[in-house]
Amino acid sequence: MAENATKSSEAAAPPEGLTPPERRTPLALRQPVEGAPGTLRLAEMPFAGKFILRLDPASGGEAFREAAGLDLPAAPLMSVVNGERVVFWLGPDEFLLLVPEAEAAAFAEAVEKGLAGQHHQLVDVSDYYTAIEISGRKAREALMKLTTLDLHPCGFPVGHVAGSNFARAQGWLWLEHGEEETARFRLYVRWSMADYLWCVLADAGREWGVPEQIPAADETFLTESVHSKKA
Amino acid sequence: MFVISCPYCGARDQSEFSYGGEAHIARPEWREDMSDAEWADFVFMRSNPKGVLAERWVHSAGCRRFFNMLRNTATDEILAVYKIGERAPEVQAKLPATPCGEAPIGSGNDAVKVMQPGEAE
Ligand SMILES: [Zn+2]
Repeated sequence: MAENATKSSEAAAPPEGLTPPERRTPLALRQPVEGAPGTLRLAEMPFAGKFILRLDPASGGEAFREAAGLDLPAAPLMSVVNGERVVFWLGPDEFLLLVPEAEAAAFAEAVEKGLAGQHHQLVDVSDYYTAIEISGRKAREALMKLTTLDLHPCGFPVGHVAGSNFARAQGWLWLEHGEEETARFRLYVRWSMADYLWCVLADAGREWGVPEQIPAADETFLTESVHSKKA
Repeated sequence: MFVISCPYCGARDQSEFSYGGEAHIARPEWREDMSDAEWADFVFMRSNPKGVLAERWVHSAGCRRFFNMLRNTATDEILAVYKIGERAPEVQAKLPATPCGEAPIGSGNDAVKVMQPGEAE
């Protein structure tokens, strides 16, 4: 599941004469967009390993740390970062684990092994969500147009993660890097909401010169090779 | 629109929450001879006070946890928020006076003036 965005790619090798399995992300049609330099930039962060972990941190936190190599967040609404591995607090016994795609399978196996005997649940949700990176000194201001969350630095410090409605779509917002000039948020949204939110975010950035984004209607299928040229 | 304090996430806008009905209503133990009236009592009958009501809410856009709340239905004042499984705390509420001293029932009765303590009739 983690490696495959389409069902057709589950087979080992495609029969002779067929094209290789295609992969795409929810925002495969979108190129990163930017307003005036330094103001607001939108980009998709495709293909990452994502897991929902249900675990009582009081009884299983230690075992998780040994298996995963990082702690569970000690307080609500916080995140823990270790290199490219990130853990979000989603609820008192629920966490979102983010790992590079290449490590995802081994990571899940290690966590399952480490938590054997613990009451827990680990679900691969890599293909449920995608992440939109919102960066620049107007990032806070643009997001404020979409949500009722208090995004002032006092109420939303670096490392903060909060679930809320963004232009009526549910998502998880994480402040990865918070210096005023280089604020960098990540918004984790469901696949089916991604294009809608992309367009709404671009609309919020119109006043700083972000180009208008037309909602995808007649999408054409883009392959992974096309997609990877985005970066 | 008002602000609700989730016991896990803190103060958030009401639009992030969904209502879950009156709290502390226990599902009856299943019995062969249970009457329709008993079942209907569990399913339909609610206290519906004009005053303090214990109710369930769920933080549907945030942590998606259910929790309990004590709310004064006459004034919409949120008096306490507490986790599922906990007992309702003791609270002080300004209960509305009713014109002829009848029981303060029926939260939707706009014709009944909400009297504040000490206010002359
Ligand atoms: Zn909450």
